[in-house]
Amino acid sequence: MVFNSIQFVLFFPIVTLLYFLLPFKYRWFHLLIASCIFYMFFIPQYIFILFTTIVIDYIAGIWIEKSDNRKTKKRYLVISIISTCLVLFVFKYFDFFNENMLLLSHKFGFHYPEKTIHFILPIGLSFHTFQSLSYVIEVYKGKQKAEKHFGIYSLYVMFYPQLVTGPIERPQNLLVQLRQEKKFQYSNLSEGMRLILFGLFIKMVVADNLAVYVDQIYTDPTTHSTLSILTGLFFYSFQIYCDFYGYSSIAIGCARVMGYSLMDNFRTPYFSQSIGEFWHRWHISLSSWFRDYVYFSLGGNRVKLQRWVFNILVVFALSGLWHGAQWTFVIWGLAHGILLVLETLLNRVLGAGKDREVPQIRKFFQVIFTFTTVTFVWVLFRAKDMSQVSSVFKSVFQNVGLQDNFHVEPKIWFFLLCFIILDSFLVNKRFDLWCGKQKLVPRWSFYAIMIFLIIVQSNVDNFPFIYFQF
Amino acid sequence: MKVFKPLLIRFSVLALMLVGMNFLYQKYFLEKDIQTHSGVINKVRKALADSCEIIYLGESSNITYRADDIDKRAISDFINDYFPNKKIGNITKEATHAGNYYELLRNIPEKSSVKTVIVTLNLRSFDANWIYSSLETPLQKSMVMLKKYPPLYNRFLLSFKGYDVKTDKEREQQYKREWRKSKLEFPFPVKYTTVTDWDKAMFHDGIKNNDGSKNPELTSLACHYIKTYAFQIDTVKNPRIKDFDKIVQLAKKRNWNLIFNLMAENTEKARDLVGEELVFLMKQNRDILIKRYNQNHVLVVDNLETIPDEQFIDQNWTTEHYAEAGRKTIAKNVALVLQKFYPNDFKQVKYSNDKRQDFINDCEGFTIWGQMQTLSEEKPFAGMKSSKTGQEQDFSITFEYPVKNLPDSLSALDVSFQLYCSESAGNSKVVLEISGKDIEFYLKDKSLSELVHKTNEWEQITCKFKLPANFYQGDLLKVYVYNPDNTILYIDDIRIRFSVIPGDEEIKDS
Repeated sequence: MVFNSIQFVLFFPIVTLLYFLLPFKYRWFHLLIASCIFYMFFIPQYIFILFTTIVIDYIAGIWIEKSDNRKTKKRYLVISIISTCLVLFVFKYFDFFNENMLLLSHKFGFHYPEKTIHFILPIGLSFHTFQSLSYVIEVYKGKQKAEKHFGIYSLYVMFYPQLVTGPIERPQNLLVQLRQEKKFQYSNLSEGMRLILFGLFIKMVVADNLAVYVDQIYTDPTTHSTLSILTGLFFYSFQIYCDFYGYSSIAIGCARVMGYSLMDNFRTPYFSQSIGEFWHRWHISLSSWFRDYVYFSLGGNRVKLQRWVFNILVVFALSGLWHGAQWTFVIWGLAHGILLVLETLLNRVLGAGKDREVPQIRKFFQVIFTFTTVTFVWVLFRAKDMSQVSSVFKSVFQNVGLQDNFHVEPKIWFFLLCFIILDSFLVNKRFDLWCGKQKLVPRWSFYAIMIFLIIVQSNVDNFPFIYFQF
Repeated sequence: MKVFKPLLIRFSVLALMLVGMNFLYQKYFLEKDIQTHSGVINKVRKALADSCEIIYLGESSNITYRADDIDKRAISDFINDYFPNKKIGNITKEATHAGNYYELLRNIPEKSSVKTVIVTLNLRSFDANWIYSSLETPLQKSMVMLKKYPPLYNRFLLSFKGYDVKTDKEREQQYKREWRKSKLEFPFPVKYTTVTDWDKAMFHDGIKNNDGSKNPELTSLACHYIKTYAFQIDTVKNPRIKDFDKIVQLAKKRNWNLIFNLMAENTEKARDLVGEELVFLMKQNRDILIKRYNQNHVLVVDNLETIPDEQFIDQNWTTEHYAEAGRKTIAKNVALVLQKFYPNDFKQVKYSNDKRQDFINDCEGFTIWGQMQTLSEEKPFAGMKSSKTGQEQDFSITFEYPVKNLPDSLSALDVSFQLYCSESAGNSKVVLEISGKDIEFYLKDKSLSELVHKTNEWEQITCKFKLPANFYQGDLLKVYVYNPDNTILYIDDIRIRFSVIPGDEEIKDS
């Protein structure tokens, strides 16, 4: 089930209402069933794959906690990680691995059997795999007690608002909340509904309307002028942001209505003054996951410079690979890693310190520079393969005077401008809290405009959430 | 209880806001959305504006023609020939079915000029392959804005995908499940009880050539016939039955005369390729439908076996696209039934077989030539429309005519038309094309840039083509303007005139 569907419009109030009507002891079961229904709207039989991961990590968590021996704990952890990742590998990376092995076999002349599976990727597999892994790792580290209640643990992995596209939660935050009795509070309802409204608006009115133009450009970049391509790249930056930020906001909002707090996933990333800052503000739940479980495990920055560079590149390459089984994603991740390394080294050379006051004008240009860099690197993320990447960049330089039929409706610019202005108000703030501070009349006028635009101006073509594919 | 009061207030405010939004939407946005997403309703509106008493609802079977048809008009136009005093409204959209017809009919106001409704009853539309077709999602989407709810709610349904949205893959799974699970029952022994088994067996055994080898094309076509026609209508579960039943109920409510026009299928080919078992199923389904709807006082025109194989345009696929004679036969059968409601308006029709050599098209849409989709209301020379080319629409409205229907001894062809171009005609050309089995493809053109002297105003263009010596060996002759550029050209009032004496002037062929 997707958030911007009629099914969800019915599902959400029914589930929420029942949740508050039911006695506390049945609520976990109610939410678990609701989450199963939510998930089974995609490919019903894939719920068994999800349960496989849940069972593996549930048992692993208990065994890790039970064993006194550090070595045995580690053994269980490794078994758990390998088994969970194996599921991910089979469904997401098997064909990619085989294709590359086949290429290598042709190049180096060894025999490799030509085999493909062509499974449809279970929706949100990468997200709940990581959420499940964070649980066993935290239990192993002793920061989290193993959950004995299978139902509650299943709900931790399957909690429907964040099941498909995150935010990737930590057990210390979500698991604990699932055991708490949540009472209906009007403030939760209003905050949650604001986030849902905001999420639907930026997904359906901004992202989906931009998607039409982005698709036009990427269908055949060679037929478009430089200006059109640059517009398309600019639009994609906002399409992916509004698409994913929209999903995260709706997810956080749905949970909030029931009294649960999920972690923020975005903090106005396009107002970042550096690549490093961008990664503190973009897809926070994933970047912090990689920081905590991969980067720190490799030694973080308390190592020699070469090793630190290696750590950064490994983390970003893995982060790219997490997004998709394609070299474009790996290179996208690596590009960000390289940019981060260069930026850090340059700052060291120039002696740019955190404490130094930076003039506003310089901040402004840094924001523009960071945004432009990120926008160009998004090409790697959006293109279907490297030949399309090269086609986009070649066309940017070659098609300067080309005439094309790329016309953007003025209302699209208007929606985008509205969003950028709104986003600028939200620097270091969350929409629901910022909106709640506004006076009654402007606030309700704002709701009315958003509701009207969602219904009347959203794009009616089917544009699934971009992060569903991961 | 404390919490309910603010909630109640807010819900009331929200409800009021929605009422206001509905008003705003209806006043300023609705029409544009209807035109964007449900443009088919314009055909209903036109029929109502023309005060049509009879309306004909159909899919591509109504309007598809063969290039060598002399008269390329639709079945509904041919029916109209029998009732010259009545105007038959033509509501046609490709791939539509009873579910869509119902929504369109429901949009006809209770008080209107409409008294009789002719609905295409396509046997294939009861088959899983069509019910779960990949076209179903866009068709369902095109009907959302026409539903009977408040306009804002319809737009909400459109935005939140409140219609039957499925991917092509999901649709495929649906019809394949039907093929696997639906049991076929015959009153005589047959080897196969499901479509899947039958299809597999046909694929395995195949249609044989004279030398005993398997003919892959014919085998594939036979498999397709099985997958299309091997079904038995379940009057309880089949969604199409429900749609037609709803139409019957609506017609009763509105006091309309109702005719279901059961379209012809290529039973000859079904028999030749697959055998009598398949034709048995087709006839059985026909009988079920006729019986059911006759009981409901609907007149059903049975065309199932009336069209011979050669009149089916698509010889390598299953469609209800008929050549001119086929369309005329169907029209006549419908007209004979329609006569029961309009006995005094019925006139016998005899189509002339005279060989013409002078053809005119005013580009208003009444004379059907090829590329009719190029007609546009943007810039007419006279009347309401002209043919628009350019910007990826390379071909103008096209004169297509079977050579055998032209008089003997012709040797030249005069083309004249009105042309409007805002800048130079660029690479555009007037083209004469002759094709056929016994002639090498013949293509001659005259560059428009040599013929055009004015821009930003209409200009009469004339040119002459000398017909090749072996012209009469050709099957089909075409004349059109070819415009591969981005520059838009408008063409109007076209005249094609064949002449017996070529004239003494030198004819320059480029």
